[in-house]
Amino acid sequence: MPRSRIIAGVEIGTSKVAVLVGEVIDGRSLNIIALGQATSRGVRKGVIYDTAAAGHSVHAALRSAEHNAGAAIESVYLAVTGGHLDGFENSGVVTVEDADNWVSPNDVQRAAQSARAKALPDGRLYLTHVRGRAFLDGSENPHPIKQQGSKLELRYWHIHASRREVENLLWVINGYNDLNVQEVIPGSIASGHIATTPEERGLGALVVDIGAGTTDYALYRKGKVERTGVIPVGGDHLTNDLSMAFRISFKQAESLKLRYGTALLEPDKSRKVMLMGDYQIGDRELPLHSITRVINLRLGETLAFIKNKLGSAISQQNTPAGVLLTGGTAQMPQIATLGRQIFGVETRVADSPDWIRREDLRSPEFHSVIGLLRFGVQGGALDDVAQPQTKSGFWPRIGQFFK
Amino acid sequence: MNDPHASSSGNRPGDPFENSPLLRIKVVGVGGAGTNVVDRMRMCGDSELELAVVGTARKCLVDSPVPEKVMIGAEITCGFSAGGDVDLGRKAAEADRPALQKLFAGVDLVFLVAGVGRGTGSGAAPVVAEEAAKAGALVVGFVLLPFSREGSRRARAAEEAVVRLRNACHCVIALPNDLISQHTDEETSILEALGVADEWIRRGTFAIASMVRESGLINVDFATLRQAFPFFGGKALFGLGRAEGAGFVEKALQDLALCPLLHLPDNRYVRRTDSLILHLRGGPDLTMTAVNRVMDFVTEKFGCRDNTVLGAVIDSRLKGKLEITIIGTVDVTGARRPPANVTHPPRAAAHSPASFALTPPAPAPAAREPILPPPEPELPDTPAEIAAEIEEPDTPEPVAVAAESERDSGFIDFETGRPVGASAPAASQSEGRGKRQAANEAQCELPFPGEEEARGHFESTARYDLDGQDLDVPTFIRRHVRIALH
Repeated sequence: MPRSRIIAGVEIGTSKVAVLVGEVIDGRSLNIIALGQATSRGVRKGVIYDTAAAGHSVHAALRSAEHNAGAAIESVYLAVTGGHLDGFENSGVVTVEDADNWVSPNDVQRAAQSARAKALPDGRLYLTHVRGRAFLDGSENPHPIKQQGSKLELRYWHIHASRREVENLLWVINGYNDLNVQEVIPGSIASGHIATTPEERGLGALVVDIGAGTTDYALYRKGKVERTGVIPVGGDHLTNDLSMAFRISFKQAESLKLRYGTALLEPDKSRKVMLMGDYQIGDRELPLHSITRVINLRLGETLAFIKNKLGSAISQQNTPAGVLLTGGTAQMPQIATLGRQIFGVETRVADSPDWIRREDLRSPEFHSVIGLLRFGVQGGALDDVAQPQTKSGFWPRIGQFFK
Repeated sequence: MNDPHASSSGNRPGDPFENSPLLRIKVVGVGGAGTNVVDRMRMCGDSELELAVVGTARKCLVDSPVPEKVMIGAEITCGFSAGGDVDLGRKAAEADRPALQKLFAGVDLVFLVAGVGRGTGSGAAPVVAEEAAKAGALVVGFVLLPFSREGSRRARAAEEAVVRLRNACHCVIALPNDLISQHTDEETSILEALGVADEWIRRGTFAIASMVRESGLINVDFATLRQAFPFFGGKALFGLGRAEGAGFVEKALQDLALCPLLHLPDNRYVRRTDSLILHLRGGPDLTMTAVNRVMDFVTEKFGCRDNTVLGAVIDSRLKGKLEITIIGTVDVTGARRPPANVTHPPRAAAHSPASFALTPPAPAPAAREPILPPPEPELPDTPAEIAAEIEEPDTPEPVAVAAESERDSGFIDFETGRPVGASAPAASQSEGRGKRQAANEAQCELPFPGEEEARGHFESTARYDLDGQDLDVPTFIRRHVRIALH
């Protein structure tokens, strides 16, 4: 009798709470069983500002997911995002102990410990330490164990977050039948692993997840996460900008964005669209050019922030696989072309992996929550994310179960 | 007494009380930016109002053509400016309170103009406002907020200053400089751009001053005005609209509806003003029906049923034109705070008792129909900076130019012209303190929430600065890109 576990990936997003329930069998294979969703309340820019309201919507989504799954969730893998996330690079360097300079697992362990030893200011906590490239005597060596060298260096990308914001998230989940959060995972990494194939990560790629409240990005090189980051600007900002530009309500602006928004400027300046389209009192004509201009400015600015932060790391040489866009706002028409203009490399909207066969899950907005389950299958600490043995081949066999 | 029909006497040409020295109105510029605005007012010949400037920088004061100048904190700043130090600005004003008291002695209505974000405007202006209020004056503040390009430190200092000012003024109208860019294009010179802010302030002061001084179709007296701003600590809403030509009433209303200052993001706030002043300037062809139409529109749009003050001035040169100015206040504290009655009863009492009588809502009965549910001041999440954004900006360029010249002639007229069109029925102050208002007064005071301007939907969230820019402010505003609305 195989041992199975019911786990859930939970993303408390700015527009919706998504709960994806999966069954992990023998810690290796995953059946996606059910999806539960609820409109998000009390969340702005990826951060909870009203815990009571957020609690209601999260609990509603969990309830609906459990109902659809017909099973109780045992543990939760939770995505975290928001402007409070930050990261820095820090290497651990140790002298190889062995007299003959053979690197032992113990050396790797010590290097890892040393890299993580950096203390954080009060109120911050480490979310994860992502191991990057390893160097032996200054030259890159992805598998240093049992190699010869005198100095071992392990590069780490450390992601840390505001303790208070993370505790808010945990509090909301724990409030549902004392549900246990197994792991807290940065949203950028969760969606990054789904939006890219292992080959793309190996070549080098940038994943940009533009959600409703935040834009999360993860840069992969040689199969490993090299940089992540969050810009607390998302689709809501497009809506807010439109509502301020045209003096209309947030709701009207949202509808305008969904109906007419494009990432590129509308070339015909005389083209008009109707605000509400119902020709009722209060309906009026708006220049499409203006609408697209507001959106183009905001999206362009946001992508340019990422480009500036990463600098030359985004180039034909360093990211041959290009830029992959995901998240709800990636559905904005022409966004890939805008991305190409800004990043100067091939940019496209990420496809869902083939093994996701449920049509309703194949939208980019679910990449992150599916990515959470992927980490759940591994069952290991997130520190393992970028360790060599997980690079490929460790990806579990994933089956699909349709109810 | 504040007889609603009193206006009929006001329509008599040669009203002996017009411009009577009994009502003194003073425009006071505080700090560099405030002084500049008042200087330019002076140069435009707005002599109807008393002008004064208060500053810490000797050079700035010496250069000012305004006759009445008050130097504050000479011993603290040695005649130099506060150098962007808010504390220094405040200390300078604290040190010279007696001089400020003198400045406001006997003044009934004070317009305080200050640019916040730097030293004197942010630090001294609240102290100046306090002194003005203590002297018994009604204090209306016009605050120029810094450009978001000026960085987050300025923005934060400005926010704090606005909050302090709100607690010291009866009404604070905040003018985000960023919005200026929405009224300018690539060819606009910097002088013209700054002129936009001047224009906002001038029209705001003019609307209020002409309302209480000028007699017109519908008169509002000072006591009524005071009644419209009964509290400290509220947010203000300020909007302008104007139009001319065929269908000017509807066009002006549309212009008003599009005024960007009224429409910061979340429209909920405009639906719950607690008191509203509506001022119309039109030609002799302005009909009562048109006035009623405007009242209907405005009360519906801004949800102020029980405390709308209407004033209308007829100017023969404005035939076929209409200018609408609205100033509203919203009590965001959730606990209405009776103004500093405690601190300045003497003069205030002398002016206002009449206004506390409930006047029957006279004109435009339709306008007062309870179209909206009573506004709920306690909603914690309405943030909405009401702030004023002013301006009727979005008029296409040619119209704006025409209106501009029109306005200038309007000012001259204000000085010399007589109101026309005395035939109208009467008046209309409809204040009346609702039960809710009274009940709220009894509630305890709540702390005034800190806040930011122009962030709309994100007002309740932590701000995130990148390169000194607040990313919640729309990109087009930060980059000064004009968005065409037509």
